[in-house]
Amino acid sequence: MIGDADIEKTPAASDSALSSEKMQTIGLSAWFGEKRALKNISLTIKTNSVTAIIGPSGCGKSTFVRCLNRMHELVPGARMSGRVLLDGRDIYKRDVDPVLIRRRVGMVFQKPNPFPTMSIYDNVAAGLRLTGVKRGKSLDDIVRQSLEQATLWDEVKDDLKKPGTSISGGQQQRLCIARAIALQPEVILMDEPCSALDPTATAKIEELIVSLKQNYTVVIVTHNMQQAARVSDFTAFLYLGELIEYGSTKDMFENPTSEITEKYITGKFG
Amino acid sequence: MTSYTYRKFKNRLFFVLCLGCVIIAVVPLVSILFEVIARGAPQLSLQFLTQPPQPPSLPGQPAGGIGPAIQGTLILIVLTSLIGIPIGVMSGVFLAEYGNNKYAAVTRTINDVLTEFPSIVVGITVFLAVVLSLGHFSPIAGAVALSFILIPIVARTTEESLKLVPNSTREASLALGVRRWRTIVSVVLPEAGSGLVTGSLLAVARIAGETAPLIMTILGSQYFFQGFNQPMDALPLRIWRDVTSPYPSQIAQGWGAALVLILVVLSLNIGVRVATARRSNGAHARLGEIRK
Amino acid sequence: MSRLLDTGLEQLTAIVSKMGDAAEKTVRTAITGFMEGRDVNEEVQELSDMLVTMTVSVEDKAFELIVKYQPVASDLRIINSYMKIAYDFERYGRYAWDISLTHQKFAPSKKCVYQLDLMEKMAEKTLQMVSGSIEALRDNDGEMAKSLAETENEVDKIYSSYLDKLADAPPSASNIICNLLVARYLERIADHATYVGEAIYYIATGEKVILR
Repeated sequence: MIGDADIEKTPAASDSALSSEKMQTIGLSAWFGEKRALKNISLTIKTNSVTAIIGPSGCGKSTFVRCLNRMHELVPGARMSGRVLLDGRDIYKRDVDPVLIRRRVGMVFQKPNPFPTMSIYDNVAAGLRLTGVKRGKSLDDIVRQSLEQATLWDEVKDDLKKPGTSISGGQQQRLCIARAIALQPEVILMDEPCSALDPTATAKIEELIVSLKQNYTVVIVTHNMQQAARVSDFTAFLYLGELIEYGSTKDMFENPTSEITEKYITGKFG
Repeated sequence: MTSYTYRKFKNRLFFVLCLGCVIIAVVPLVSILFEVIARGAPQLSLQFLTQPPQPPSLPGQPAGGIGPAIQGTLILIVLTSLIGIPIGVMSGVFLAEYGNNKYAAVTRTINDVLTEFPSIVVGITVFLAVVLSLGHFSPIAGAVALSFILIPIVARTTEESLKLVPNSTREASLALGVRRWRTIVSVVLPEAGSGLVTGSLLAVARIAGETAPLIMTILGSQYFFQGFNQPMDALPLRIWRDVTSPYPSQIAQGWGAALVLILVVLSLNIGVRVATARRSNGAHARLGEIRK
Repeated sequence: MSRLLDTGLEQLTAIVSKMGDAAEKTVRTAITGFMEGRDVNEEVQELSDMLVTMTVSVEDKAFELIVKYQPVASDLRIINSYMKIAYDFERYGRYAWDISLTHQKFAPSKKCVYQLDLMEKMAEKTLQMVSGSIEALRDNDGEMAKSLAETENEVDKIYSSYLDKLADAPPSASNIICNLLVARYLERIADHATYVGEAIYYIATGEKVILR
C-alpha cells in the first residue's frame, strides 16, 4: 500500500493488546430519515475470523454491514451515530476520508455486479487503476494472485479478455471477490453473497470464504442459518435493529442464551 | 349468431379499426416521401451536390447546385455538436448523478420546457444576443441557436441513459474506494455510452432539419463558407428560399435539396436503429423512444 | 406454529417414552423375580428383545430427522440425547436379562444366597434409580436427573462393601458367583441410569454435566 492510506492504517498505540479485534462497533445506531434501522449495536469483529450476521428480513443486517465501510451514508437521508473502530480508530471521525476506509474494508454484494464494459482482467484491475493505487504493467501479477485466491484463475486464465459478464453467475461472484481482494483490503464484507447462486456455486463460495479468513477478516450477512453454521466462527443475531445475541457459532447453534435466538434458529418464527 | 361468433367478430372489428388507424397515421409519411422522391430524384447529380447555385437561367445554361447548402449543414452539425454535446452530456450527468434535490428538479422542469420551445423564438433571441453584438450574421450564431435546441434534448437522453445504468454498478465502484467523480467518468458513463451516442445522434438528426433558428442567424447565402463573420447557407434555408421563388428551375432544385435533407435525417435515424437492433443491450432500444 | 420437524419430534418422543416404560418393566420383573426366587427368564428375555428393536427404530427416526431438517439448538440436543437414552434403556434390558438368566442357572442349586441383604439393598436402590430416570425423562426434570447421582453413589458404596466381603470370603465358597454376577449387573444398570440423567440434564439446560 502506498500514499496516504498508510497513515490511516497505523493502529493506535494503546491497542496492541486488542490486535485480535479488527473492528468494533460501540453503540452504533442508524436511521433512514426518521426510521431507525439500528439500535445501539455493540460488538467486536475478531481478526482473521468469519463473523456471520443473521436475523429475519428487515432486521438491519445489511444496514449494519454498510456502516462498517461507510456505504450507509451514501443513501440520501441516511445517518448514523455511535462509533465504529477499525484497528482501534473511529472511522467516522471528522478528518477521516471515507474513500480510504472503503479501500481497507471491501464489499461483495448479493447480486454479482462485475463491470459490464470491462473484461475479466480489467474488472480485477479496476479497483487498482481507478483508485490510482497502481498503474502500468505490474498489474498482471496482482490480477493473477487475486483470481487464484478467489479460486477462479484456473477457470478463466485463457479468457481474461472476455467481458466480465460472459461467465456464469457463480464465477461472476468469484470475480467480484477477486476484484475486492485485488486492493488487498483488511476486511471483506459480504452481503448475502450466495443468495442469487445455485447450490454448487454456493458451496464453492463457502469454501472460498473459509480459506479467505487466513489472510482477511470476513463479515458475512446471510439469511441462511445453515450457511452461517457452516462457514462462520462467530455469529451475531439481529432482530428489529437490535443485537440480541453474539457469540461463537458453535455455542449459538448448540445452546443459545436468548429465547428469541432459540426461536429464530429453530424456525419457530421468521 | 352465437356469442362465440359475436365475440370473434368484435375482436376482428377492433383489430381492423386499429390497423386502419395505423395506415392513416403512416400515409402522410409515405406520401411525403413519395412526393419528395418523385420531384427531387431527377435533380440528383454530382454537379447538383457540389456546385453553388446559379441565378435562374435560360434553358441550356448550367443549372448550379446546392453544394454550399450541404457544406453549411455539415458545418453547422459539427459546430453545434462541439458546443452542445459536451454541455448537454454534463447537464445530463448532473441531473442523473447529483440530482436528488430541489435544484435539480427545477432544472429538469426548465429543461423539459426548453425541449418544446418554439425554434423561431430561439432564433430571434440569438439574433439579438449574438448577431447584433457581433455585427454580422455568422455560422457561430447559427450553431448557438441550434445548440439551444440540442442541449435540452441531449441532457434529457443522457440523464435517461445514465438512469438505466443499474445502481449496483455504482455501488460496486464506490465500495472499491473509487471516488465519486471517477466512478461517473470511468464506470457509469462507459456503461451508458451507447445510450449517450444514440441520444446525441438522434438530437443531431433533429437539429439538422431546423429552419427557423437559421433565418435570423446565418441568413443564407449563394456562396460556400466564407468565414465565421459571414452569412452561410444550409439545406433547410436553401429549400425554403428555392421553393418559394417564382422560378420553376429553382423550385425543382428546392425539391432536390429537400430529398437530400430527408436522406440525411433518415440515414441518421435508421442508422441508429440498425446499430441498436444489432446490439443485445436493450437500453438503447428503449432510448430510441426518447427523442423530443 | 407447528414446524415440519415437530411431528417427527413427537413421534420420536413417543417411542422413547414407550421404551422407558418397557425398560422399567423389564428391570422390575428381573429384580423382583430374583428377590422372590422365581424364574422369570423367558418373560425378561422377550422384553429385552423388544427393547433392542425399539432402539433401532429410535436411531432410525433420529437419523431421519437429522437428515431432513438439519436441527439446531434445543431440537438437536433432544435428538442427540434421545439416541443416547435409547441405548441406555436397551442396556437396562440387556442387564436385566443377564440377571434373570444367571438366576435361572444358579437358583435351582440354591446358589444365589450369598450376602442376600446387601443384594436386597442394591436391588432396591437400583430399581429406585431406574424409576427415577423414567420419571425425569417424562417430566424433563433436570434437577431430578441430577439427584440420581446421589443414589448412584449409594449403589457404588454397597457394591464396594460387597466386594470387601468377597475379598474375605473363603476361597471354596461356590455360591458367590451368582450374586457376584447379579451385583455387577445391578451396578451397571445404576451406571446407565446416571447416563440417562446426564442426557436429560443436557436436554433441559444445554449443559454437559458428569454425574457418574
